[in-house]
Amino acid sequence: MLKLHDVIKTYDGKSQVTALAGINLTIGAGEMVAIMGPSGSGKSTLLNLMGGLDVPTSGQVMVAGEDLARESEKGRSLFRRSKVSYIFQAYHLMPTLKVSQNVALPLHLAGVPAGEINRKVAQVLKEVGLEARSGHLPDELSGGERQRVAIARALVTGAPLLLADEPTGNLDTARGEEILNLLRTIHRERGTTIVMVTHDHHAASACDRLIKLRDGKVEGDSVQAGGGK
Amino acid sequence: MKFLLRTLSLSYVRRHMAKTLLTLLGVVVGVATFSAIRSAQGTLVQGIRSTVDRIAGKAQLQITMVGGVPEEVQERIRELPGIRATSPVIEQIVVPEKGELGSLLVIGIDLLGDREMRDYGFDGQDADLDDPLLFLAQPDSALFTREFADRAGLKIGEAIAVRAPKGVKRVTARGLLSPKGFSEAFGGNLMVVDVYAAQELFGRGRRFDRLDVRLDQGTSIAQGIATLEQALGPAYRVETPSRRGEQMERIVANFVSGFNISSGFALSIGTFLIFNAFNVAVNRRRRDIGTLRALGATPRQVQFLFLAEGLLIGIAGGIVGCLTGTMLSQGFLRMMGQTTETVYGVTSSGTVHLPPGIALESMALGILASLVGAWGPALTASRIPPTEALAKGAFQARLPTRVAPRIAAGCVALGCAILLAMYPPLGGNQLILSVLLLGGTGLVLLVGPLSRMLLQLFIPLAARFAPVSGRLSSDALLGSPRRTSGTVMAMAFSLTFVLGFGGYMGSTKATMTRWMDDALTCDLFVRASANFSRPDFLFPGALRDELLKVPGVRTVESYRGVHPLFRGQPILVGSIEVGPTMDRTKFEYLQGNPEAMRRGVTREGMCTVSENFSRKYNLGVGQQVELVTPSGVVRIPIAAVLRDYSSDQGMVLIDRTLFLRLWKDDRIDIFDVSITHGADAGQVRNAIRAQLAGKYPALVSTRKEFTAEINKAIDAFYALTRVTVFLALLVAFLGIVTSLLISVAERTREIGILKALGALRSQIGRSIVLEALALALTGLILAIPAGNLFAAFMEGAIAEFFTGWRMPHHYPWEILGQLLIALPLVSAFAAWIPARQAGRMKITEAIEYE
Repeated sequence: MLKLHDVIKTYDGKSQVTALAGINLTIGAGEMVAIMGPSGSGKSTLLNLMGGLDVPTSGQVMVAGEDLARESEKGRSLFRRSKVSYIFQAYHLMPTLKVSQNVALPLHLAGVPAGEINRKVAQVLKEVGLEARSGHLPDELSGGERQRVAIARALVTGAPLLLADEPTGNLDTARGEEILNLLRTIHRERGTTIVMVTHDHHAASACDRLIKLRDGKVEGDSVQAGGGK
Repeated sequence: MKFLLRTLSLSYVRRHMAKTLLTLLGVVVGVATFSAIRSAQGTLVQGIRSTVDRIAGKAQLQITMVGGVPEEVQERIRELPGIRATSPVIEQIVVPEKGELGSLLVIGIDLLGDREMRDYGFDGQDADLDDPLLFLAQPDSALFTREFADRAGLKIGEAIAVRAPKGVKRVTARGLLSPKGFSEAFGGNLMVVDVYAAQELFGRGRRFDRLDVRLDQGTSIAQGIATLEQALGPAYRVETPSRRGEQMERIVANFVSGFNISSGFALSIGTFLIFNAFNVAVNRRRRDIGTLRALGATPRQVQFLFLAEGLLIGIAGGIVGCLTGTMLSQGFLRMMGQTTETVYGVTSSGTVHLPPGIALESMALGILASLVGAWGPALTASRIPPTEALAKGAFQARLPTRVAPRIAAGCVALGCAILLAMYPPLGGNQLILSVLLLGGTGLVLLVGPLSRMLLQLFIPLAARFAPVSGRLSSDALLGSPRRTSGTVMAMAFSLTFVLGFGGYMGSTKATMTRWMDDALTCDLFVRASANFSRPDFLFPGALRDELLKVPGVRTVESYRGVHPLFRGQPILVGSIEVGPTMDRTKFEYLQGNPEAMRRGVTREGMCTVSENFSRKYNLGVGQQVELVTPSGVVRIPIAAVLRDYSSDQGMVLIDRTLFLRLWKDDRIDIFDVSITHGADAGQVRNAIRAQLAGKYPALVSTRKEFTAEINKAIDAFYALTRVTVFLALLVAFLGIVTSLLISVAERTREIGILKALGALRSQIGRSIVLEALALALTGLILAIPAGNLFAAFMEGAIAEFFTGWRMPHHYPWEILGQLLIALPLVSAFAAWIPARQAGRMKITEAIEYE
């Protein structure tokens, strides 16, 4: 599903900052992977490159057979629309759109017919347990519910790769646990490849594999016994 | 896209309704000004054309001559081959004593012989006039349209008072015209009188304004023209009514086209408001943009979303602007009509309707302005990398980092504009458009970097006077370079416009005043008509001797002006006793000298020409002016070129003796009276009034009163310009309000933190007022040189195009002074709402603001 080869990412400013210093990584289809590391280790940068939100300074980022580093801006947009979906720590829901409209947004961008959008939205809202909240605005929901809306929005396109940036970072323990359970269910039932950046050891333990980053390099890559269970 | 517009865009509009309305107002002001001016202009021109057509009736040709067509000409042409009928006409505009009824167009015709020419369609039970002979026998007889009679509450047999040249005159309605054809001319405000009564009433002597001609069936227009021209000679103009209408339109169109520049400015300032508002919207909505991009929106989809919003604002602004413009247009028409009547003696009346063509044109301009304003921010939005858009913390769409090429390009554009204005290879509208486009582009490119430099100078100054508020306002201004430069740009543009126009108006006025001081040197002016270009009445030449007998009168010079065509364009030929006039007048010579003028004009049959005539027709001393006169074509050598502001059409001045010889017409427009030493001008004026009372219409004014009247006419000429200057200031004010409201919204968290740290409301309020002052003053500093250049261009190339005169450069110090007082007040007022909003912010909500 994902293959990164000698990926380097530097940021030019008053002084050059190296966020990723030669990452080599392969993630297979259907894996659920946690990426951990201290602040500034390059976790979010890595996730952005995997999702085509950013391009590496050098190296290859192969996702579902496409080298994102060589894709145009438009090509990467179309890739994000169909092959990958995101969950953010701050949810990034449109505050003025109702829950159902937020979930429907990527389908509208892709030009999916209205009838199909309604059907798919209803289905994923049921899947995340929010069918009763479809007419609400994000401001009227709890943090856990907002993250579930974000998950529903990620699921609605049926993308094979789900990237989650600190999905439980803004939630209390009980709500965090709910979200982890939901992700595990999605992984199990849909076979979606999930890559999750987290600071939280408990969240990381829910994954099959743990990749540790430090100073832009892979410090450790291990399979976790009992992960995802 | 529809979903995004319906949901994201609409909700943004709902949440920021006040800001959206302010943005919309930018387009509305521009479109309303444009559509109102264009539709009023269209109605004015259409009204003139329609009046000419309707009054012409079945006439196929019209014969005119400078100074009027002598009565005997009708006899001369009646028997010519191909001529079916001829009919004399006199036209004059008068005002009823009840001014609210509007001006009346008086048509003097030969009622018995005119049926061949016009269909009168008498109204009411009578199929015709009861007794045409009674109509002719009673000199106070008149016909009115049914519509006018209803409005005036006038019935057959009743009288109405009108202001005629010889004083208020009561005319009696002897018949009413049904509202069709002829009677619809001049919006139905028509009064028909006997042509011979009109001659007496309006001092036409034994002349008509024109002869209408109907040709025999089978005689072509060309044949008719050839026959009449051969019979009458070159002094007479034979043309179709539509051609005559076109000439009148051209005269008026030249005047009104100047207003298109003003509406163009209003629209371009509206564009900057939209640019500013969209820039801010991009900044505020960058999280939304980031999320959309993360969900797979392509850069083009993001760009289209903002452009679609621009399009909708353009459409909405266009519709509201057209409606507002329709409401304003009637007032514009009245102002334009009054001015064209005063200055050119041509006008029309009617109700302004917004024609679909102008509505579409205005809408298209509103949409274009909106899309142009939204284009840059939309492009910026589409180019924001998703990772940057989703990043936390303050964000500004990045300015292009390459400032040097931008400054260089701006200097080149501005330099080209200056060169083009100084050495124009083009003329007219093309020149104006090219210079304004290049100059505008130069200003757009330079304002950003220059305003930043100026604001950086402002920081230490502000911090010195107000350590906390000054620092805060500087940070806010420099932290949002796009918003700041957008607002400064709108300010600089509108102030450039105000200073440029102000300079031009000031220069015109100062020049005219100086010229009037030098040229209008006699003590009293005796006129028969208040209208300078189309006299209502002319005095007989013999009146001069009568005036000379009035106690206290020393000398009297007789001025007469006619408007013949020269190279197809109307010009003014003025005549006066040049010798005595030169004794008391200080002429400014551009070519030639006083001796050559005195000798040439008084003894050798030469002429002088005005500066604008000389420039327009490229003629000077040593060359000749070829004029078509009633005595034939004559070539008059030029003795001198004078600085003269009598007519924007250009003036040729000849001695009265030459005029009498060539035109064979001794009637007079104005007597210039000089009084004896020690006599009292007021007493002499009263004596002249008493002498002429009951015999002639006489407007006797002292020099001061006369120049005040001319100044009033000049003011009327620029009245619409003042309206647009006001609109420009209004738009600038709106720019500051919008910018500061946005600034407060952007700094919500910062303001919350400051309040949490103990900042007082007054400190925060002061920082916002300082921000407004800095924006306004930066705009003004940039506008001072730009306004100077624009004023120079207006006084030079534009003035020459519209009036034929190049005005000396005059910097509008008085307007600058007014702005220096008004701008801080306006800025502080504009800052009041945002400052109050910031002061009322709740700390807990503000620091949570994302």
